[in-house]
Amino acid sequence: MTAPPNPVPFPGPAELERPTDGREVDPSLGLLQGEGAAQRVRTPEPHPGHLAPTHVEADARTPTYYGLPVLQQPVWIRTIPVYLFVGGMAGAASSLGAASLVAGGPTLERLENRCRALGLAGDLAGSLLLIADLGRPERFLNMLRVFRPTSPMSMGSWILALSGAANTAGFLFGSRRGPLGALGRVGIAAGGGLGALLAGYTGVLLANTAIPLWQAARRELPVLSVGSGMASAGAVLELFSDSGASRKVTHWYGSVGKVVAIGAMLVMQRSAPRAPRVTEPLRTGATGLLWRAGLVLTAAGLVASGLGNKSRARERLAAGLTLAGALATRLAVFHAGKRSARDPRATFEGQRAGMGAAELRRPPDPKPAVFKLPVMR
Amino acid sequence: MTAAKGFFTDTSLCIGCKACEVACKQWNQLPADGLHFTGNSYDNTGHLGASTWRHVAFVEQTLPEALGSIEPQGAGNGSSFGMRWLMESDVCKHCQRAGCLEACPTGAIVRTEFDSVYVQPDVCNGCGYCVVACPFGVIDRRDDDGRAWKCTLCYDRLSDGMTPACAKHCPTESIQFGDVEELRIRAERRLEELQARGVRGAQLYGQDARNQPGTGGLNAFFLLLDRPEVYNLPPDPVVPTAKGRESWTFAGLAAAGMFFTAMAGALLARNRSVR
Repeated sequence: MTAPPNPVPFPGPAELERPTDGREVDPSLGLLQGEGAAQRVRTPEPHPGHLAPTHVEADARTPTYYGLPVLQQPVWIRTIPVYLFVGGMAGAASSLGAASLVAGGPTLERLENRCRALGLAGDLAGSLLLIADLGRPERFLNMLRVFRPTSPMSMGSWILALSGAANTAGFLFGSRRGPLGALGRVGIAAGGGLGALLAGYTGVLLANTAIPLWQAARRELPVLSVGSGMASAGAVLELFSDSGASRKVTHWYGSVGKVVAIGAMLVMQRSAPRAPRVTEPLRTGATGLLWRAGLVLTAAGLVASGLGNKSRARERLAAGLTLAGALATRLAVFHAGKRSARDPRATFEGQRAGMGAAELRRPPDPKPAVFKLPVMR
Repeated sequence: MTAAKGFFTDTSLCIGCKACEVACKQWNQLPADGLHFTGNSYDNTGHLGASTWRHVAFVEQTLPEALGSIEPQGAGNGSSFGMRWLMESDVCKHCQRAGCLEACPTGAIVRTEFDSVYVQPDVCNGCGYCVVACPFGVIDRRDDDGRAWKCTLCYDRLSDGMTPACAKHCPTESIQFGDVEELRIRAERRLEELQARGVRGAQLYGQDARNQPGTGGLNAFFLLLDRPEVYNLPPDPVVPTAKGRESWTFAGLAAAGMFFTAMAGALLARNRSVR
């Protein structure tokens, strides 16, 4: 080892006058310019001035990490449960409109027109509600950048976009003659098929997540979604019916929807018999109340609309009860899911009771999913 | 594609210094999460999130609780005050079957040449679906700019042939970075060593598809000294997509049922009016 070159002696006047000693750090290195820089944290101090111990008693047999959530809570805002309600109604209305066009004949022409209007209005309102929820609303078109069958969100975006296009064509041209009219009627028929998917996919959207309650209810949620959509579409359309035939159709449609929704709710309450913690948000607290309100209101709507000849007032009452029931159900499902995400025991107990990967008949392919379709830019 | 890169986090070596948390924040220029006191041992971070890509968990256990499973021979003789302290540095797992990636409707989340899962910030539109699709609760949406953020496995550093910041700074090699294949062998060896020394309860978490069929194995896997729940890890995680097919089947059946109900109603009305 050779000695280092002459150390710099104590700086004399000449050294001090030099602008730098050559050891300054480049100030540009300190600039925060990375992807994560300039991030603001929402609650830097959740309990200002207070200690906020979240410590919970340890339980050796079924441990949790201080009772803290294991999953992230859904970041979706209030427009999402409203969208679930509106989208279901629009999809169910489009389907009824298409059926009226194909099989209804001239008696149901006015009903079909109203179905078209409700379907289109729901598609438009639904799109706006979804875009409002995006963290970057101006990038909403990125939703149509890829076609990804593994993602119900991607499938739903395509369904909603195509349904909106089909329903627009149907609304504008459906009653015309000539080639444009034919295009309009194709739009109505396509809108009917897409509407059925629109009403059903929102159930898959919630089910295809890590939230224990939603995942456990993956069979019931799409059925509930469709039933609830039929019930609300039936209620609105029955309210505006102007002929006996159209009243009969909408009443039948709405009643089937309510029966299906109630059935799905009753089954869903029991979707996790081995891990009661998973369905607990449906039984207790505010979400439990909301869930029971949805159930009772829907049943009340069914009873009020079901008995013999009705006065106009009772028709309105029945429609109001049904719509309130459908909205309460959607809100209950949404907020119960949020609660389920916050509860670590729902995840732990569910998975220990065999509701994780263990209940799959075949384990998923361990290789990463490959998407062959090109990306649209 | 180069060999798959990942982390082997050996919690038996973790001393809870949080150098990984700091190094991660520093390199990725993530903001501090504020100064709150949780009372949960030395953990004032809480959980992974949009601004926290490494999180050190601290677990205090009294010995009767720990004894059944894990205590090394000769311990519990008063020197440890009847207590045991577990620490674990948590991170995005970069799953083989990644829930976030499969749920992403924009294609913003991709698999890189290092086999890691990466969110492209210029594509993400903040729909929030990855947040609910992650079985580990890792990825989160930023409050201020609305996009999803998580560990990138230091994609920028890897591209320059460097080690991720957390692994680089770990003073005890609790966080080991390298080729997943090699890390797996190292982990098996370490587990055998611990078991030979009488550490009961030591287990690997997610090192391959056999260990964790629901995710197809993790590129960032762990050696734990107790059950996963103790560290806030799910015991049997599963990529939600694996159960989605069943849900789609029921959606299809329900949609078909709705269509037939509509058709039946329309036909009924027509027949009545014809009569």
